[in-house]
Amino acid sequence: MAQRQQFIRNFCIVAHIDHGKSTLADRLIEKTGTLAKRDMSEQLLDSMDLEKERGITIKLAPTRMKYTKDGQEYILNLIDTPGHVDFTYEVSRSLAACEGAILIVDAGQGVEAQTLANAYLALDNNLEILPVINKIDLPSADVLKAKQEIEDVIGIPAMHAPAISAKEGINIDKVLDGIIDEFPSPKGDENAPLKCLIFDSYYDNFKGAVCMIRVFDGSVKAGDKIRFMHTQKDFEVTEVGYFTPNTQKADVLLAGEVGYLCASIKKVADTQVGDTITSATNPTKKALAGYKKVQPVVFSGIFPADGSKFNELKDALEKLKLNDSSLDYTSENSTALGFGFRCGFLGLLHMEVIQERLEREYGLDIITTAPGVNYHVYKTDGTMLDISNPSNLPDPSNISKIEEPYVLMHIFTPPEYMGSVMELCQLRRGESVDVQYIDDKRVKLVYNIPLNEIIYDFFDNLKSRTKGYASLDYEISDYRPSDLVKLDILLKGEVCDALSLIVFKGRAQERGRQIAEKLKEAIPRQQFEVPIQAAIGGKVIARETVKAVRKDVLAKCYGGDITRKRKLLEKQKEGKKRMRTLGSVEVPSEAFINILKIDN
Amino acid sequence: MKKNISLYIHIPFCKSKCLYCGFCSFCDKGEYVLKYIQKVKQELALYEKILKDRTIQTIYIGGGTPSIVDAFLIKDMLSFIYDNFNVEKNAEISIEANPDSITQEKAIMWKESKINRVSVGLQSNKNETLKFLKRPHTFDDYLKAIKSLKQAGFKNINTDILLGLLNQTEDDIKSLIKILAELNLTHISAYGLMVEEGTALFDFVKSKKIILPSEEISVNLYNTASKELKKYGYNRYEISNFSKPNFECKHNLNYWQRGEFLGVGLSSYSFLLGEHFENTHNFFEYLNSGFKRLNIEKETPKTAMEEVIMLSLRLESGLDIIAFNKMFNVNFLEKFDTQIKKLLSNNLIEIKDNHLKIVDFEVSNMIISEFF
Repeated sequence: MAQRQQFIRNFCIVAHIDHGKSTLADRLIEKTGTLAKRDMSEQLLDSMDLEKERGITIKLAPTRMKYTKDGQEYILNLIDTPGHVDFTYEVSRSLAACEGAILIVDAGQGVEAQTLANAYLALDNNLEILPVINKIDLPSADVLKAKQEIEDVIGIPAMHAPAISAKEGINIDKVLDGIIDEFPSPKGDENAPLKCLIFDSYYDNFKGAVCMIRVFDGSVKAGDKIRFMHTQKDFEVTEVGYFTPNTQKADVLLAGEVGYLCASIKKVADTQVGDTITSATNPTKKALAGYKKVQPVVFSGIFPADGSKFNELKDALEKLKLNDSSLDYTSENSTALGFGFRCGFLGLLHMEVIQERLEREYGLDIITTAPGVNYHVYKTDGTMLDISNPSNLPDPSNISKIEEPYVLMHIFTPPEYMGSVMELCQLRRGESVDVQYIDDKRVKLVYNIPLNEIIYDFFDNLKSRTKGYASLDYEISDYRPSDLVKLDILLKGEVCDALSLIVFKGRAQERGRQIAEKLKEAIPRQQFEVPIQAAIGGKVIARETVKAVRKDVLAKCYGGDITRKRKLLEKQKEGKKRMRTLGSVEVPSEAFINILKIDN
Repeated sequence: MKKNISLYIHIPFCKSKCLYCGFCSFCDKGEYVLKYIQKVKQELALYEKILKDRTIQTIYIGGGTPSIVDAFLIKDMLSFIYDNFNVEKNAEISIEANPDSITQEKAIMWKESKINRVSVGLQSNKNETLKFLKRPHTFDDYLKAIKSLKQAGFKNINTDILLGLLNQTEDDIKSLIKILAELNLTHISAYGLMVEEGTALFDFVKSKKIILPSEEISVNLYNTASKELKKYGYNRYEISNFSKPNFECKHNLNYWQRGEFLGVGLSSYSFLLGEHFENTHNFFEYLNSGFKRLNIEKETPKTAMEEVIMLSLRLESGLDIIAFNKMFNVNFLEKFDTQIKKLLSNNLIEIKDNHLKIVDFEVSNMIISEFF
């Protein structure tokens, strides 16, 4: 029976963003004839529109391919992984479902921050790594240098790495041969109790939650009673199968195989990534290692732009949550914005994806407040509060200390921008941990830096300071005490809770001034003067004024103008719907998030 | 009792196109005037049944430049109306005129046609500004025109002036208004210069060849004009309209009070039997094809309400709350409670004697749209 598994290879592709992961996946699918070329749209594995537009992969879609080598047919299961730091845990679970990983390195760019981060993740999961040098068709390609970098920086042999062009379809068969020759086959025990790993799940309107699984031991088929070991929930399997990449029903999934499983599961939240599925009647003793509950790290308020649309927003979030168990939300009430939700995200990209999906797929107009992190606030009575919403911060006199989350951040940059990058990190309260010259073209900078300082516009700033050459990766490290204060914004004398922020005291004055300036630009002139003030604990530290409108069309209005004018005014009113009235001041929806966009 | 109605007749002919003009008018179609007037009469005949049930209380011959048309044709057209429809005995019958085409003979002929109000387009008393605006007359032409009108016996004369012109100062406005007041006009319309798409002015402003006065300056000009006009006994009864007591323009008031009106001629608009509609803007289509009502829009309670608010708040008298409640069977003050509270607290509106009024017309659109 081990015979069967000898001809299976389970692998994934990891790479820095834009190094060609999705293109190589497409070529593999094409080359193995899994889909006819005419059925392929570019970068097939990324199924969400949003991902296509951004060239990033968020959801994983495993694909079963057949490839014949030396007269022997092999089953190759490609498990695609998201390429973004927000989804590190999901990546790690996908890797755990594989025996091997293809590590793509751009022949022109060499090793980047995410190359390194992903390679380490693969090594942590004991995967065999097959380095592949991509984009050899580019004039800037330097294959040997890229190989040397892999050996020097990551420390794995790379001289035998296939040099390919996924775009041009050059040497794709060498990659396929490498998969078979380099990667171990699965070695599960088909007769042992069922043990499978959930590495992703999605919601299907007809089948319920669909789990993407890797069977390690045993087998699973429709009618089997199964148990999710971490959630301790039992279900009866209704269907198993695999992806080609469309779903294809199968009679049974055996040890070593990758596929999907449905069991009339109502909520994706019951199918947590990393959980182990076993038999309910003959359970395995030990769950697979590596499970953890995903914790959101970035928080922001999401409110309907039109206050009466609260229920629509709630429904939409519920539906998104069906497909995305890492999305976290609880209802909250803001004096300024009314009823809405405080949402937790895996990171900024995740936040943007959710916002865009709410607007695009559910047609909602939403207001997002500035993103923040979760603080540990210790009160003088010794209790500790988790605070992610600045307006919930207790009175300063009741606080003994506040701790904020730090990350360990790796930045790769050409040396000529090093000074500018270090300056940026210092501005953002980063502490240098390490500086390492990789070669004469690249330096690795390691910083300990507050998460709050990098969640908003850090990456944009980094890119502009390095002409786009720097790459960045980070992981949450620990909580550290900081001198933090709540910065309030007052419009026409009234505190607007949705604009409050928790900021570092040493820079509060400057931030207050910048935000007041930003708001002055963002708030349109109204029928009256609008003073904007930034204050800390009641003390005003910055002030701007939006002057009153003086004139809006003293035009005549004849018979023919009546309908036209009425429609114009109706339009003006429509425009107002994108505004929120705070007290009597109208503030455009974008202002709530744009206040953080500060160039430095 | 028969319902009242106003009648608008569009005359789309001009000697030249003014820089800012967005109205439907032509400088090269003079040869078709006769045919055009015939067509207007045909169109009027179409509405015979509706007009038989109504009393025409005002007629307004606008344009274009109706004054360049042979006065016999105007007389012929009006006679057709008097002969076939019910025109109120004291109906207000207005014609728009440019100073260069007002002659003694024409004025007398108009008078004979029972026209009793002439609206003269002056815009500015500075010849270089008139030239720049491509107006076909000088200030002197204007003074002569007023003289001719008075000699013909016209007592009710309006003059249009523009605010927000290039390099216009508050002193310019003051001296202009002084001159007009001394001419003893009954009515003055002071319009803010509008930059409408499709006009020569629009292109100039867009390409920054002309920089018009700032919002701040325009507002000051408007406020100066209002103040000066008041000084000479002209009451503001609508945002841009000022008159001596009892000389308000009845025709325009009917628009603002949302009365019925029938527009005939090229590009004209109507509001009749609860429907807004308009005629084609295509000259030859109007001249040669059958009549077609375009963009018909049936009123709904919502649009009717919006229009009443929009129009009445342009008036100095404001919105009659009791009439509104009766008309729509609602409680205005309750329905718009939040808006009213907000506007009152910011001193933007006032409520007096069951009328809601805008305090400061400068921001009227903003205030009106609050109620939409």
